[in-house]
Amino acid sequence: MLKVENLVKKYPKSDRLAVDNISFELRPGEIFGFLGQNGAGKSTTIKCLTGILPFDSGTITICGHDIVKEPIKAKMEMGYVPDNHSVYERLTGREYVNYVADLYKVPALVRTERIDRYAKLFKLENAIDRQIKSYSHGMKQKICIIAALIHDPKLWVLDEPMMGLDPQSTAEIISYMREHCAKGNTVFFSSHNLDLVKKLCHRVAIVNDGHLIDVIDLAGNEANKANLEETFFKVTGTYEQRLFEDYIAQESADMRPDMPIEHKETQSDEELVVEETENKGDEQ
Amino acid sequence: MKGEFSMQSVRTLFRLDLKSRYGVTNTDKTAWKQKLGHVANAIFFLLVYAVLIVGIYYLTNVFVTRSGLRIEFLVIVATFTICLATIIATGSVIKNLYQNGDNEMLLRFPVSGKEILVAKSIYCYLHNFVVCLLLMLPFYISFGVITNAAVGDYFAYIGIVLFSTLIPFFIANILAVPVMKVMNAVKNQFLLILIITIIVVCLVFILYLVSLSNVLTYLKDSKQSIFSADMIARYRKFAKYAYPFNWYAEIVNGMKYGGLSAGKYALRFLYLILINAALGVAAYFVTTREYYKTILYGIETQKASFKKKIKDVRRPVGYALFRREFYLILRSFNYSFQYFAMACAAPVMVFFCNRLAASMGTESIGAGIMPGLTLMVIVIFITIIVSFASTCISREGSSFYHTKVIPVSYTNQILVKFILYSLTGTISVALCCALSGGYYTSDAGKHLLTPLDSGAIFGIAEMLVISLTCLSMIADIKSPTFNVSGDGELVSANKNVALAMIVGIVVAIAYGLFAMIFSFLPLTIGSVTIIQRGDMNRIYLILSIVSIVLLAGSLAGLFVNLNKRYQKIIP
Repeated sequence: MLKVENLVKKYPKSDRLAVDNISFELRPGEIFGFLGQNGAGKSTTIKCLTGILPFDSGTITICGHDIVKEPIKAKMEMGYVPDNHSVYERLTGREYVNYVADLYKVPALVRTERIDRYAKLFKLENAIDRQIKSYSHGMKQKICIIAALIHDPKLWVLDEPMMGLDPQSTAEIISYMREHCAKGNTVFFSSHNLDLVKKLCHRVAIVNDGHLIDVIDLAGNEANKANLEETFFKVTGTYEQRLFEDYIAQESADMRPDMPIEHKETQSDEELVVEETENKGDEQ
Repeated sequence: MKGEFSMQSVRTLFRLDLKSRYGVTNTDKTAWKQKLGHVANAIFFLLVYAVLIVGIYYLTNVFVTRSGLRIEFLVIVATFTICLATIIATGSVIKNLYQNGDNEMLLRFPVSGKEILVAKSIYCYLHNFVVCLLLMLPFYISFGVITNAAVGDYFAYIGIVLFSTLIPFFIANILAVPVMKVMNAVKNQFLLILIITIIVVCLVFILYLVSLSNVLTYLKDSKQSIFSADMIARYRKFAKYAYPFNWYAEIVNGMKYGGLSAGKYALRFLYLILINAALGVAAYFVTTREYYKTILYGIETQKASFKKKIKDVRRPVGYALFRREFYLILRSFNYSFQYFAMACAAPVMVFFCNRLAASMGTESIGAGIMPGLTLMVIVIFITIIVSFASTCISREGSSFYHTKVIPVSYTNQILVKFILYSLTGTISVALCCALSGGYYTSDAGKHLLTPLDSGAIFGIAEMLVISLTCLSMIADIKSPTFNVSGDGELVSANKNVALAMIVGIVVAIAYGLFAMIFSFLPLTIGSVTIIQRGDMNRIYLILSIVSIVLLAGSLAGLFVNLNKRYQKIIP
C-alpha cells in the first residue's frame, strides 16, 4: 500500500538531516502509528510522502505508483489530513468538499451520499453550508477529514488527527479508522498519544532525530503493547526511571492533587504576608 | 463604559502601539533593507509632495491674482481641506479604533476599554494632526506668498491650521460608529460592495482628472482667465453661504484685509470655538458610549459568515479550480478591489486619462503621438490589474499544501490561474480599446486614431497583458511570501507586486515613447532608414515583433520546468 525506502530529507540552509534513511512498508488493512517526539521527523516524513515536500533521495510508492514519477496517480489513492487543518475559509464547507471531490472526480450521486453521511457522523449537518471561516478549530479539522475521505482513498494519512477534537469526534474518527481498514484500506497517522496508538494500531514506528528506531508489532502481541511506553521512552532517549514510573502511575491512578488547607476567613492579606515571610525565614 | 482609568496604562498602550507600527523588528541582517525601503519611500513621498505644492501655488495664483477671488479661494480651501481631512480621519478612526485586530488581544490585558480608547485616540489625533498640516499648510503658505502677507500672518495661519485639526477628528469619531454599523450590515454582500466600489473609484478618478484638466488648461495659457463671469458669481455665492468654512476663511484673511470689525472678528472666533466644543462633547459621548460595545460586537461578529446551499454537482477539474480561484477573489474585499474593481474601472479611467493627455499632447506636439500615448496609458493601467498575478502563490497562504496534495499537475493548476488573470486583463484591454478607439476614430474624437491604430494597439496591449501576467506569476513562484492572517488575506504588500508594477511601467513607457517619438521623427541606423517619419505601420510591426518575443519568452519562463520550480516551494 505504502512503501518508503531509504528516504532522506534535508531542509535548505539546515546542517542536519530531518529524515535520515527511513524505510518502512504499510500493508493493506492495517492501522499504522507513527510516534516520535516534537521535531523527530514525523511531519517531515508525512509531508514527503504526500508530495508536499521534495526529498533528497529514496523512493516513496503509493499503491504501486512512485510519488515522484507518477504523482497524480499516487495522490489519487491518498487522502491527507494536515496537522494545521488549513482550508479555504471563504468557501462554505460543502463548496470546499465539492471542490475536492471534483479534483478526485467523484461522481455527483456518490459524493452527495458521502457528504451527508460524514456530515452526520461528525455532527456538521448544520454547519456544512456555512462559510468555513465561521468554524471552530475542531470543525475545521472535521471538514478536512471529510474532504480527505470524499474519494474513499486506499491510503488515509493523518498528521496528529485528534488534536483539538472533542471526545465524541475522537471516538467517531477512531471508529471510522477501523471501518476504513476493514474495507482493506490503510490508515497511517502520527500521534503523541501512546495509549491511543497502543489500543488502535496494528503496528507502530518510532522515529527519533530523523532515524527510524523501531517498528513494533502490536496486533496480538501483548508484551509489545505492555512495553510500548517504556520502549518509547528508552528509544527516544528520554527514559528516566522516576519519570517513567510517574507516567505509568498517572495512567492508572487518580492524579488530582490534594486541595490546599483553607485559610480562616478572618485572616487578612497582611497577616498572610507576614505568615509567608515567617515561613520563608524558617526554611532558611 | 465601565472600568478604571490610569494614565500609566494609557502611556504603556500608546508606546506599545507606536512600537508595533514603527519599531524595527527585523534582524540586523535585514534591518538595513528595511531602512533603505523607508528612505526610498520618504524620497518618493517628498517628490510627489513637492509636485503638489507647485500645483497648489499655481492654483492659488489663478484664484487670488488672476481672478481676484481672495476670500472665495480661502473658503474653498477651508471646505476642501477640512472635508478631505474628515474623510481621512474617519478612515483612520475606523481602522485603528474599531477594526484593528489588536482589540481582542488588548482586552485580555488588565486594562479598561476607556484606557484602550484614549491610547488609540491619541494616535488617531496625531495622525489627523499630521494629515491636516500636510494638507492645509501648502495652501495657506502659498496664499501668504502670493498676497505678500506679513510675518505675523504666517503665525496666524499656523494657529488656524492647528485649530482646524479639531473638527475633522471630532466629526470622524461621531461618523465612525454609524459607518461601522453600515459596514457590518453589508459585510457579506460581495457583489454590492464591488459595484459600489467600482462606481466610487470611477467617479473619484473622473473628478480628479476634470480638475487636473482645468489646472493644466490654465498652465497652458497663463494669460487667459479660466473663470467666466458666471463661474465667478457661483464661487462668490458659495463663499457667502459655506458655513462654517467661511468663518475660517475670514479669520485667515485677517481683519486688515477682510474689512471686518474687531467685534465681528471675535464673534467668528467664538462661533468656531462653540462649534468645536459642541462637536467635541458630542464625539466624547458617542465614542465613550459606543466604543466598547462596538469593538465587542466586532470581536463577536469577526467570524460572521453567510450560509449558502448548493447542489452537489460534478464539474471538470479545470473549471473547479477556476471557480475556486474566482470565489476566493470575489469574497475578499481587498482582493476584489485590487483585481475586479480595477479591471472594471480601467476602461473609464483610461478613456479620461487619454482624453486629458490627448488634449495636452496633440496640441503641443501633434496628433501623431496619439497612438503611442493611448498604448502607454492602456499598458500602465493594465499593469495595475496584472500585478495582482504576482501574489498568485502567496495568496494560498497556509492552504498552500493543498496545491501539492491534490491529484492535479502543477502545470494545470498554474494554467488555470493564468487563464483567469489574463482573461480579466484581456476583457479590460478590449473594453479600453473599444472605448478609446471608438471615440477617437469618430468625428467627436477628431479622428485622432484610425481603425488600424485601434486594432494594432489592442494586439500589442494584449500580448503585453499575457507577458506581464506570466512575468508576475514567475516572480511569485520563485519567491512567494506566505504571510497571511484571518481568513487567508495577505498581511502586507508583497515585494513581487512592486516588482511587477515597476516592470509594467517601464514597458509601458518604453513602448509609448517609442511609438510617440518615431511618429514624428525617422529612425535611421547608418544609411538604412528603419522607420520613415510618421510610418505607423512600421512602428506597429517593430513593436509587435518585440511583443511576440517577450510573449514567447515569458510563456516559456512560466511553463518550462514549472514542476521542478513548483516542487521547490516550501510553505
